[in-house]
Amino acid sequence: MFGYILKKIRYSALKRKNMSHDTATDKNYNEPLLPDLEKNLDVIKSILRDSSDVTVHEFNFGHDRRYKGALVFIDNMVDKEEIHKNILKPLMYDVLLLKKDVDMDFTKIDIIRKNLISVMDSQKVTLLADLLDSLLTGTTILLVDGSKEALAVNLRKWEARSIEEPGTEAVVRGPREGFNENANVSIALIRRKIKDPDLCIEKLKIGMRTKTDVYIVYLKSVANPKLIEEIRNRIGRIKIDAILESGYIEQFIEDAPYSIFPTVSNSEKPDKVVAKILEGRAAIVVDGTPFVLIVPMLFIESFQSGEDYYARPFLASIMRIIRFLSFIISTLGPAFYVALTVFHQELIPTQLLISIAAGRERVPFPAILEAGLMLFTFDVLREAGVRLPKPVGQTIGIVGALVLGQASVEAGLISPIMVIVVSSTAIASFAVPAQTDSGTILRYIYLGLAGIAGGFGVIMGLLATLLHLSSLRSFGVPYLWPVVPFNLSGIKDVFIRMPVWTMQKRPSVIIWDNIDSIRQSPGLMPSPYKEDKDDSK
Amino acid sequence: MYGKIKKRSGIVRIAFLLMILLLLTGCWNNRDLTEINIVAGIGLDRTEDGKVLLTVQVVEPAAIQTVSSGKGKGGGAQPKPVFVESFEGETVFEAIRGILSIVDKRLFFSTAQVLILGERLLQKGMVEVLDFFQRENDINYGMNILVAKGVTPGEILEIENDMDSIPAVYIKETAENTVSRGTVKKTTLIDLIKDIDSGERQPAIGQITKAGDKEIRTEGVAVIKDEKLAGWLDPYETRGYMFAIGEVKSAIVNIPVDKGKIAMEIIRSKGKAKVRFENGEPSTLTIKVEVEANVGAYEGRGRLDSQDDLSILKEILKNEIKKEITQALEKAQKEYSSDIFGFGSYVHKYHPEYWKKVKKDWNDIFSKLPADIQVDVKVMRTGIIKSPVKKDE
Repeated sequence: MFGYILKKIRYSALKRKNMSHDTATDKNYNEPLLPDLEKNLDVIKSILRDSSDVTVHEFNFGHDRRYKGALVFIDNMVDKEEIHKNILKPLMYDVLLLKKDVDMDFTKIDIIRKNLISVMDSQKVTLLADLLDSLLTGTTILLVDGSKEALAVNLRKWEARSIEEPGTEAVVRGPREGFNENANVSIALIRRKIKDPDLCIEKLKIGMRTKTDVYIVYLKSVANPKLIEEIRNRIGRIKIDAILESGYIEQFIEDAPYSIFPTVSNSEKPDKVVAKILEGRAAIVVDGTPFVLIVPMLFIESFQSGEDYYARPFLASIMRIIRFLSFIISTLGPAFYVALTVFHQELIPTQLLISIAAGRERVPFPAILEAGLMLFTFDVLREAGVRLPKPVGQTIGIVGALVLGQASVEAGLISPIMVIVVSSTAIASFAVPAQTDSGTILRYIYLGLAGIAGGFGVIMGLLATLLHLSSLRSFGVPYLWPVVPFNLSGIKDVFIRMPVWTMQKRPSVIIWDNIDSIRQSPGLMPSPYKEDKDDSK
Repeated sequence: MYGKIKKRSGIVRIAFLLMILLLLTGCWNNRDLTEINIVAGIGLDRTEDGKVLLTVQVVEPAAIQTVSSGKGKGGGAQPKPVFVESFEGETVFEAIRGILSIVDKRLFFSTAQVLILGERLLQKGMVEVLDFFQRENDINYGMNILVAKGVTPGEILEIENDMDSIPAVYIKETAENTVSRGTVKKTTLIDLIKDIDSGERQPAIGQITKAGDKEIRTEGVAVIKDEKLAGWLDPYETRGYMFAIGEVKSAIVNIPVDKGKIAMEIIRSKGKAKVRFENGEPSTLTIKVEVEANVGAYEGRGRLDSQDDLSILKEILKNEIKKEITQALEKAQKEYSSDIFGFGSYVHKYHPEYWKKVKKDWNDIFSKLPADIQVDVKVMRTGIIKSPVKKDE
């Protein structure tokens, strides 16, 4: 009850704040354009407060130069050459090629568009708000004196990164291309892989100030319509001034915002995103970032890599098991070491115990503090290595390995076995990049539990984690599927990766009640040519 | 809203249950490795006035490391890898606590490799002493037990040599070598406790003696009767005993043949001790042993590959093993009247009613029963040559 009252108070406070927020920032320019060019330009200039990069070019055109026009665009976002070739030149010179007695009223935007402008992508705008929207996204606006309409001509061009190999998801075998900051390029990369009319791309604009383009990409006949509806709703309720990266969207649409486990996955690689779209998931492409969100997410996806499917199944399966082991080592390594050496020495073989004890003889800290210190040092090193420019980053490695590793052991501050434990933990933690943040946090939690209650504490922590994981949902999909709840067809792709020809169905939990779950015909197992095989089959 | 409150109380309930679990931990005492003394070997004896004398061999990990890595050779005395301390007390527990007055850190017993019992302790009975080892949670039940013959446990634990930096490990490994040769029995703490508790079998514990200043020897066993030392079996009798209970893994049995001596290598052996019953009363003790052997070495001339040769070989080996078993059985029956073979457990298993009646007097009944010993020998291989280098003329 108390919680209910608190919530109510908080809610009403928020509401009040929200309302005032609305009136302060969201000025409405929902007024029509005027037929007077001078006045229109004055209004636009006053709204944009004479920003230096807004260019206004006034000119006269027509046979006897009796029409007055103006081009408004933002410098550096447009292709000036194209403007010259396709707007100015036709209006001012090509028009002279028309016979003088041709009666055309160039105060009508439609007539200009149809007869003079040689650009395909152009749009009529009548409202000031639409005009501003188009202008600010880089469109060139053509205003004509005497017309209540304006023409928005799309001749955008700005400096952008080309398609490069993504830095985060390197592969040995597989496509090297990655998304880039331009959402249109990203969408094109997806479209180029799925040549299917079913591929739907829905466009939304989120962010009151940034007006970021957000696209929902899915396969209409495969994706669960309820899932798409849910994504639309969740994205639709975002009222925020800016979306600078897909992470903003992720944090507004995830199922468990307080969980350390991510319920929305992301990728920079078109092949990976396409594979997931084909399984019935939906991708959310956000303009301005190469990271594309994919929902729903299963826990198991963190352990899968695109390369698993390109390589033959044997090594891929071993690698997947190694990834699982690495995750276990990276979260439990220091905790188990502390639990064993502080609480359960009897479980360590005597010879090993003696050498551990020999290493710890001069160490002045309790094991938990020793482990905590080393883990902390490792995390600092990692963070510093990421932030620093590459040439300096190498110095960090040397300082970390030599100064901290070797010197601290020789000074007797840290035992050599602890260095081994922490460094193997560190190496293992890089094998499962998708769970880096949950792994790092769990590592400290388990370490603390091991320090307080030994193996018992670790087991309690593990149980709590398991309970939490099995309670998680990502857009209605159980997070631990296909292990919990168990699914035989899904388990083919969990601990080992079965050959591609055995995986005939899409993950049933994602497409849910969709009928179209078969993605390949049965009996595709390759075999040598057989004489007696019936061809008609 | 109502649903939400209900859900939250569910979480609270689970958290509460998890908290209760914290109270269930038995022994969660936190002790850092730097705060414990790693005990490698324990010795137990009694003093002349009947007090318990506890001796512990404690490892100095740092010294072990310097010994093994060869550091610190430059000057000064090498630190000793272990130290040995003794303490007297009325009870074992008192001695264990009391010893803390002379050592710096808590003793950690789980790592103990061997428990060496003194002769004087066994003469007065060992049950009271073992009780502590059963109660204490720190004790490793798999630890080897040996009985010191002619020396005190303290003297054995103080032996230092170069083979292993920890003498207790040296003792344990030597004993294990001997076990595979079949001349000493491996008795772990849990075996001993089980034997004493059930009364179906009298324990026989491996024997350890001092051989020179720096070595120990583990051969023979101590025969226990009613928790007291009854006597000893020599190495050959021990091997007979081990054949009978089927614990010989590999042993060398030398047999004389007319062409010279042959060393037979036992590669597999099974043994079973049973009691034959007639009219509800035990009539005969039967011991059935199956042995597979190879010819290991032959100190004579002539080929060995004919069927006749091999059957003679089999016969001789059979008699040799039978002789050893008979010796052991006779000693256990006549001299010590102690059922170390575990006939009692067979009786308990297959004739439980009878066992209930005679449980108390079983050792007496056992010592009067006649024995039937059957040995079945197979000679598998004669090595990779057919005949020795020196041919028979």
